[in-house]
Amino acid sequence: MGTSTNGKVNDFSSDMEVDAFRRLFPLRFHERHLAESIRPDGRPLGKARDTTLVLGAVASANGSALAKIGCTTMLAAIKMEVMAPTVEAPDEGCIAIEFHMPPICSPLIRPGRPAEIAPVISKQLSDTILRQEIICHYLELSLVSGKAAWMAYLDIYCLDADGALFDAALLSAVAAFSHLQVPVVSLNDDGRIVLISEDNIAAMKEKEPVNKEKRKLKLDSVPFSLTCVLHKNHILADPTSEEESIMETFLTVVLDSSSFQLVSLNKPGGPGLAHTSAIQECVELAKLRVKEVQKIMNEATSDMEQD
Amino acid sequence: MDVEREGGRGANQLRPMDCTRSVLSRAHGSASCSNGETRVLAAVYGPKAGTKKNENPEKACIEVIWKPKTGQIGKQEKEFEMILKRTLQNICLLTAHPNTTTSIIVQVAHDDGSLLPCAIHAACAALVDAGIPLKYFAVAICCSFSESGHILLDPNKLEEQKMKALVYLAFPSSVRSVLTEGSENGEESAENGIITSLTHGVMPVDSYFQCLEQGRAAVTPLTNILKKKLQSPSPINQSAAA
Amino acid sequence: MSGKGSTTPSTYSPSPTGYKKKRPDSNWARPDGRTLHQCRPAFLRTGAVNSASGSAYAEFGNTKVIVSVFGPRESKKAMMYSDSGRLNCNVNYTTFATPTRSQAPESKDLSSMLHKALEGAIILKSFPKTTVDVFALVLESGGSDLPVIISCASLALADAGIMLYDMVASVSVSCNGTSLLIDPVSEEESYQDGSLIITCMPSRNEVTQMTVTGEWSTPKIHEAMQLCLDACSKLGKIMRSCLKEAASGLQD
Repeated sequence: MGTSTNGKVNDFSSDMEVDAFRRLFPLRFHERHLAESIRPDGRPLGKARDTTLVLGAVASANGSALAKIGCTTMLAAIKMEVMAPTVEAPDEGCIAIEFHMPPICSPLIRPGRPAEIAPVISKQLSDTILRQEIICHYLELSLVSGKAAWMAYLDIYCLDADGALFDAALLSAVAAFSHLQVPVVSLNDDGRIVLISEDNIAAMKEKEPVNKEKRKLKLDSVPFSLTCVLHKNHILADPTSEEESIMETFLTVVLDSSSFQLVSLNKPGGPGLAHTSAIQECVELAKLRVKEVQKIMNEATSDMEQD
Repeated sequence: MDVEREGGRGANQLRPMDCTRSVLSRAHGSASCSNGETRVLAAVYGPKAGTKKNENPEKACIEVIWKPKTGQIGKQEKEFEMILKRTLQNICLLTAHPNTTTSIIVQVAHDDGSLLPCAIHAACAALVDAGIPLKYFAVAICCSFSESGHILLDPNKLEEQKMKALVYLAFPSSVRSVLTEGSENGEESAENGIITSLTHGVMPVDSYFQCLEQGRAAVTPLTNILKKKLQSPSPINQSAAA
Repeated sequence: MSGKGSTTPSTYSPSPTGYKKKRPDSNWARPDGRTLHQCRPAFLRTGAVNSASGSAYAEFGNTKVIVSVFGPRESKKAMMYSDSGRLNCNVNYTTFATPTRSQAPESKDLSSMLHKALEGAIILKSFPKTTVDVFALVLESGGSDLPVIISCASLALADAGIMLYDMVASVSVSCNGTSLLIDPVSEEESYQDGSLIITCMPSRNEVTQMTVTGEWSTPKIHEAMQLCLDACSKLGKIMRSCLKEAASGLQD
C-alpha cells in the first residue's frame, strides 16, 4: 500500500467496525496489535496458548492421549500388533506413525481430497520420534527372536486445526507413548502370540509369558517443540491459524527435554528471512516452552497414576 | 582437520558443480544441475492463468511437482515439494504476476547426497531460464555433523548415512550493487538471513549455529559459480539465433 | 531408517486366550450391567470444533463421535443450479476406533444413511444454491454407532444455526432371542438376530428414517418401535437441554 493512500485508509478504519477491519485488512490489523506488543487474543508475543493434556482418552487403544493447545486439538492412539520381523533384523520391532487430517478439523479440507500438509507433518513426526532413539530403545519391541516382534501403530488425528499443528501433534504423540502399556502376551502352540487376560492368569501358569508384566515406559528424555511466526522484527510464539495464514514465515524448533539438544530446526521457506539473532531468540523461547510442557506432561501422568 | 573423505576432499570442500539451462525444448524454462554425482532436472511451465483453490489470487501461485528417480511419491517427496515450494515463494516476486500459476517439475536423475540443495539450484536456474522475475537466487547447501563433532559440507550419500545430523540450508545469493544506494541496508540484512532450514538428527544447539556460519561462508563462491554457469549462452538459444 | 516405516509387513493383533465366542442364553446380564430397556448414559456437548460453523461431541458409553458442520457454503463448481440447498454427509472412522485396527464398517453406506436420516429434518429451501457439509468422525466404536452419529449430527446442525423442522434423535434396538435390548453395545450387536433403528423428530412425532434388518416377528417389531420412539423423545429432551445450556452459557 502506497504512503499516499495510507492516511485515507486510516480514516476509513477508525469508522469501521473492528471485525470488518480485521477481515478487510488482516495484515494491518495484526501489525497494529504487534506495534503494541500484544496479540488479538490478548496474549503477549512470546506466550503460548493454554495447553491441556488428557491421557487414556481412547479405551480401545494400548496408549492414547488428547492434547489441546488453544483450540488446536489432537488425539493420538497407539495400537500394538504382532508382526514377523525381517530376516536381517530378527530382534527389531517397528513403529509406524501416521498423521491424519479428517474433514471435520478444518473448512479447507474436503473428503476425498487429503490435505497436502498431512503427509509432511507425518514425515516430520516420524523423523522426530524415530530419531529420538530413547523412545525406540525403551520400547524393546522384540518378542520372540526371529518369530515375532511388536509393531506399534501410532495414529494421530487432528480434531480441530487452529495453527501450530506440529507442536500439538508431537505433544499428543509423546503423551500417548508415556501412557502406553505393553500387554502381557505368550506364544501359543500354533506359534501365534496371544494375550493373557487378567482373570485367566492362573490357567495360563504353565505357559511362560513372553514378556513378564504390563510394562509402562519410562521416558526420561522426550522431544517437545515450539512453532514461531516471524514477521518483520517480531516473533510470535505458538501462532493461531489466522496468524499463520497472514504472516506466512514460520520456524519450528524441536528440543530434547532433558539435554536441550536440538532435535530439529525447520524453517520451510516463506516470504521472510530468518536472521541468526531471530533464530537464537526462537531457540530461547523453545527452551522456556519445553519446561512448561514438561510440567504439564508430569501433571497429566501423576493424575493418571493417582486414579 | 583430520577428517578423511572420499576423493580426498577437505571438510569444507564442495563437489564440482555444474548447471546448464534450456536443456528441454518444450518447457518454458528448464535447467539441469549436478553436484558431484547428484543430478536433478527442473522444468518450468507458466505463468498460466488462474490460481488453485484456497490460494491467494492477488499473488502468483507456485506449484512444485517432485518426481523421484524410481518408484512412487511418498512422504519424503511431499516434504521436499512443500519445502521447495515455500523456498521459491521467497525468491519470486509474487506480485508481478497475480492470479497465475507457475508449475515447476523437478525430476531426480541421480541421488548421491545433498539432493535438496541441488534441486533448489535446478529450480532457480529453470525459473531464470523461463524469465520469471526473482528477487535473488537461492543458494543452498547441506552441512553434516559427525559423531565426533566435525562439520562436513556437501556430504555424499554414504557420508549422509554415517552422520549424526544433517542440516539443509538455503540462503539468498549475495547481491552486488545492482540496487540503489538507499537500499544498501536491506541488502546487507538479506545476506544475513536464511530462507530455509531443515535438519535431521540430534545435535547441540551451538553446532547448528556453527553449521550456519560455515554454510554462509560458502554462499559467495557458490553464487559466483552459479552466475557464471547461467551467463553462458544456452545451446538452444544459440541454434535459434543462428 | 526410512525403509523401516515404508514397508509395512502384515500384522495381527494378539487375541485373548481362553476366550470363547459363545452366545449367551436368554436371561443373561448385559455387559455393562444395564437393564434390558435402559439406555447408556449420554454425554452431549456442542462447540467441540472451533473452526467449524457448528459442531457437537457425543459420548454414549464407549461410543465417541465428533460431528462438524460447515456452511452453508458455495456448492461444488460442477453442481447445477438448484433452488433448494444441498446436504453433503461424510462419515469416517479412526484407525483405532475398532478393536482390530482399520476394520471400520463401509464409510459410504454410513454416509448415505446419515444423509437420508437428516435430509427430512432440514429446511433445505432456507439456503438455496449452497451446500451444508456434515462430517462425522467416530473416535471409538462401542456399538449403536449410526444412531449416535445421527443424533450428534442433528445437534451440530442446530449449533451451526441451520434451519430445522425439529432436531432428530435416533435410537436402535436389537432383538436377541426373545428379549429386546435397547441401545446395544458392540458385543450385543455381534450376537443379535435383528436390529431396528428409528430416527425421528420427537416434537412433530414424525419418523425420518427406519431401518430393520434380520429376523423379526410382527408383535416384536411393534414392541421395539414403541421402545425406540419413547427413547427418542427422551433423547430429544436431553439434546434440547444441551442446546439450552450452551445458549445460556453464551448469554452470561
